[in-house]
Amino acid sequence: MAGLIQKVLVFVDGSEESIVAAHYAVCLSKTLNARLTALYVVNTRAVEDLVKTKIFLAAEQEEYTRDIESDAEKYLNHIKSLGRQKGVTVETVQKHGAPFLEIKKEVQEQDIDLLVIGELSKIRSRRDEFYNEAERAMRNVSCSVLIVKDEDRVYEVYESMTV
Amino acid sequence: MALIDLVSEDIVKVPLSASTKDEVIHELIAVLKAAGKIRDTGKVYEAILAREGLGSTGLEKGIAVPHAKTDQVEKLTLAIGISPNGVDFAAMDGQPSKLFFMMLAAPDQSGPHIEALAEIARITRSDAFCRVLASAVSAKEIVELFTEE
Repeated sequence: MAGLIQKVLVFVDGSEESIVAAHYAVCLSKTLNARLTALYVVNTRAVEDLVKTKIFLAAEQEEYTRDIESDAEKYLNHIKSLGRQKGVTVETVQKHGAPFLEIKKEVQEQDIDLLVIGELSKIRSRRDEFYNEAERAMRNVSCSVLIVKDEDRVYEVYESMTV
Repeated sequence: MALIDLVSEDIVKVPLSASTKDEVIHELIAVLKAAGKIRDTGKVYEAILAREGLGSTGLEKGIAVPHAKTDQVEKLTLAIGISPNGVDFAAMDGQPSKLFFMMLAAPDQSGPHIEALAEIARITRSDAFCRVLASAVSAKEIVELFTEE
């Protein structure tokens, strides 16, 4: 197993699900002695779309982009700290663009073995428009994907893991 | 969290009884209050009004997306309202707005907020879907239109 998974990438977007995924990724990386990278993508594609569709004003574009960059830093630092508490070094990467495309690129550039993402919606829809960025990434990346569920169990495992 | 996870019958009002922009905003806020999604309705109203003051969120083709960041919600929150006859929401094409998506997010959830709004932008590109939504007669029907159930 350790040979199979040497490089792990966890996608973080500020959602509770992605934070649970980050806890899991820290545990998994420690267990497998794998290298862990946390990626946050500032979704400038979505912000641009919102301006194009006039949902956002230009002033909102700047404000929200700044907010998301600040969130990205905060969440990535949090995950670094989660890793540090368990003796796992977490490399952090902040990118700008369309998340599913940036995730795909990061997987290719770093030759990632496993992408870890948070739980997806349980609700199914006929409409492709409802695929969110994590789901789009799952469908597009070249590596294996692990979807983290059962947050209580994940937090329990994380807390009980010794350094 | 995906947009679809935010859609449930308790956050949908069909039909809206409001006949003015201000009444629509109040009615949708009341829906969220009744659903237990927001704390202080007055503060949410102020946040929505502040954004509308910068420029109306009434778009084209009868769609309006009033939105705001507010610390009066725990997490990303959506309300949907349908006005079959339409309401003057100061839309950019001057047409009455029939389909309302009110989105509220906590200040530290800009990422999920953006993505949910982008999902709304994507679905509203489908004229057919918007027409069907605008002609829905119940909250149950709206939820069913979003899901497979």
